[in-house]
Amino acid sequence: MELNICHLYPEVLNLYGDRGNIRCMKKRLEWRGIKAHVDELKIGEHRDLTAYDLFFIGGGQDFEQEVLLGDLKSGKADEIRSAVEDGKTFLCICGGYQMMGHYYETYDGVKCEFLGAVDFYTVGGKTRMIDNYAFRLSEESGGSTVVGFENHSGKTYLGAGVTPLGTVLKGNGNNGEDGTEGVRYKNVFGSYSHGPIMPKNPQLCDFLLKNALERKYGRGNAELAPLPDKFETLAHDSVLKKIMQA
Amino acid sequence: MRKSNPVQTVLSVAACKLTRNLLRLTKRGGTALPGKVARVFAPNILETVSEGMEIIVVTGTNGKTTTCRMLEHAFTSSGRECLSNKSGANLLSGVTAELTCNATWRGRPKTHYAVIECDEGALKQVVPLIHPKVIAVTNLFRDQLDRYGEVMHTADTIRVGIRKVPETVLCLNADDSLVSSLSFDVPNKVLYYGLNTPVGDQKDPAVSDAKYCIRCGTQYKYLYHTYAHLGGFYCPKCGYKRQEPATAVTKIRKMSASGSDVLMQIGGSSQEVSVGLPAVYNLYNAAAAICAFTAAGLPAEDIISSLRDVHSSFGRMENFKLDGTDIQMILVKNPAGCNQALAYLTSMEEDFNAVFCLNDRTADGHDISWIWDADYEQLMKDPHLKKIYVAGDRAQDMQLRLKYADAEEERITLCPSKEALLQAMRESALPVFVLPNYTSMLSLRAALQEAAGGKNFWEG
Ligand SMILES: [Zn+2]
Repeated sequence: MELNICHLYPEVLNLYGDRGNIRCMKKRLEWRGIKAHVDELKIGEHRDLTAYDLFFIGGGQDFEQEVLLGDLKSGKADEIRSAVEDGKTFLCICGGYQMMGHYYETYDGVKCEFLGAVDFYTVGGKTRMIDNYAFRLSEESGGSTVVGFENHSGKTYLGAGVTPLGTVLKGNGNNGEDGTEGVRYKNVFGSYSHGPIMPKNPQLCDFLLKNALERKYGRGNAELAPLPDKFETLAHDSVLKKIMQA
Repeated sequence: MRKSNPVQTVLSVAACKLTRNLLRLTKRGGTALPGKVARVFAPNILETVSEGMEIIVVTGTNGKTTTCRMLEHAFTSSGRECLSNKSGANLLSGVTAELTCNATWRGRPKTHYAVIECDEGALKQVVPLIHPKVIAVTNLFRDQLDRYGEVMHTADTIRVGIRKVPETVLCLNADDSLVSSLSFDVPNKVLYYGLNTPVGDQKDPAVSDAKYCIRCGTQYKYLYHTYAHLGGFYCPKCGYKRQEPATAVTKIRKMSASGSDVLMQIGGSSQEVSVGLPAVYNLYNAAAAICAFTAAGLPAEDIISSLRDVHSSFGRMENFKLDGTDIQMILVKNPAGCNQALAYLTSMEEDFNAVFCLNDRTADGHDISWIWDADYEQLMKDPHLKKIYVAGDRAQDMQLRLKYADAEEERITLCPSKEALLQAMRESALPVFVLPNYTSMLSLRAALQEAAGGKNFWEG
C-alpha cells in the first residue's frame, strides 16, 4: 500500500511546527511498511490534485494568507472543492482550517472570502484564545481524547450540514461559546489545534491514515498494525493531566 | 507624566534598594519586584535616574544578551564605567530596578554610560523614559508566539517604540528584511551592519520567518544566504532590498569552535577583527556591537580590541564542571537559535552526551510547538552523540520529538527531576552539552552552581 500526501502551501502555511504533522504521518506509515509520498504544492505551482489521497493545510500569518488567496483564485480553489466532494482526506489546521470555510470577517467588519469547501464561517474576536486545551473526538472521528495548543482570535461557527470534530473538555475550541471544536465534513478534519497535533495524538493520526487508506483500497483492506506508542502516550497523558488540573 | 519630586525620588530609590537587598538575603534572585516597588513611589523614576546618561539599547529576538556583553566589555576594558542589566531583566520593571538601584539616593545616575537589553515587547515602554542615544536591533525570528503574536506583530511593536524616540540613532541588521524594514518612514538616523559574504551551504532554508516582501508580498530572492532568512535579499517586484551596510564583515578568514577571524569594513576603513565566540550568529552580534558602539560616538579601536577576549554570556554558552564532568550549556528558545546550537554540536569531533531541557512557563512561552521546526534530525545521525537525556516540564514532548527525529528509544533517558539530571551528568564519562530553554536554564544553572559552588547569577 502507499499514500500520496499533498502538503498545500508549505512555504506560507507553516507556522507553529506544522512540519511535525507531516513527519508524524509519514513515519507512522513507514513503520508499518506502507509507502508515503509527500509532495509540496506551493503558490504558483500546478499539479493534478486527483493523484493525491491526503491533503494537509497548516496555519499561517494573516499577512501571508492574502498572498495565498490570490493563488486560490487561479483555479486551485475549484480543484480543492472537487477533492473534498470526492471524499479525499483533509487535515486542516488553524489558518488552513479557517480557509476551508465560507469567509473570515475581521473584528472591524472587513470580509475576506475563503474557499467555501465546508459549511462554516469565522469572525474575528476581540481577544485571542491561547493555551493548551483538550477535546474529545466525536464517535465518527474515533472518539479518542485530543490534546493540543490553540492560538486564534477568530471565532468559528458551523453550518447545518456539518458536525464538529469534537467536544471541548477544557479550553475554547471553535468559538469559546458552544463547546464545539473543529469540523468534520465527509473526510475533512479541521481543527484549531495548531502545530503538531498528530505526534501527541496517535489515535487521531492513525484514524486519518486509515480513513485515507480505506477510501483508496476499500474497507477491510486498510488495517493498521498497532505501534509501540510508549512515548506518544507519555506525552499525551502528561499534557492532558496538566490541562485538566489547570 | 509629571517629573517626580525629590521626596518621591528618594523614597522610590530607597524602596528599590531595600527590596532588592531583602530578596538577595532570602536567596531569591528577583529582578522584577524591586522595579515594581520603585514605580509605586515614583511612577516615572526611570526617567529621573537615567537623565543625562548616554544609553545604548539592544533589542531583537536572538543575540541581545551577547551583544550587550560585547558592548559592556568594550566600555569597561577601555576604562569607561558602564551600567547594564544582567540576567534577563529586560522588561520595564527589570530595567527600572537596575537603573534605580544603581542611582544615588537623590536619584542621580552613578555612571555616564549604560547598555540596556530590552525585550521587543517592552521597548515602547522603556525607550521614551530613557531616551537612548542608540537602539541596535539584532534580528527577528519567531519566538514565544503566544506572548507576542506573530513575527510581523513584533516588528510593528518595535516600530511603535522607535516612533517615540526620533532623536535616537538606529543600528539595523541589513541582512534581515524584517529588521531592515524598521527604517521605513521614520525620521531617525539609520546605520546598517551585516555580512557581505555568504556563509554555509546556500540551500534555501526549510523554514523561513520572512519569505515574502514586507512591502508588496512578492517572494524575496537572495544573492546569498548567511543563516535562516538572513542574507542578500531583494524583492524582484517593488525593489525593497538589502541596504549596503557601513559596518560589514567582508571576508571570513577562519571560523572555529573558539571563535572567528574576519576582515571588516568599519566606517570606511578595512580592519582585521577577531571575535572570541564561535559561530556565524556571533559575527552578527559583533557587527551589531561595533555598529552601536561607534554610533554612540566611541572609537572603533576600543571595541575591536575587546572582542577577542569577550566571554560567553550568562547561559547563552556557559561552562561548568561537575565532579570532573565538563558541561557546556547553550540557551535555546526558538528554532533559529536551536538550529545554530545543534549545528555547533554536530561540528564536534569528539564523543559527547546531550541533554535537552524544555519548560513551558510564561517566560518561555506556553506554546512549545517550535521544537518541531528545529532540525534535530541532523544531530541524531551524528555518531559522536552517545547518550541523550530529556528533562523539564515538557520532557515528554521533547522525548517524543527526538523519537520522530530517529533517535532510538533506548538511547533516550527521561530525567523526572533536577536531582536525577544532575546525577546523570555527574556519572557521565563524556563531556555533556545541555540545551535548555529559558526557565529550565535558570533552574538548572542554579542547581549546577549549588553543586559546583559557583557565583550567584545576579552577580554575573
Ligand atoms: Zn516587494
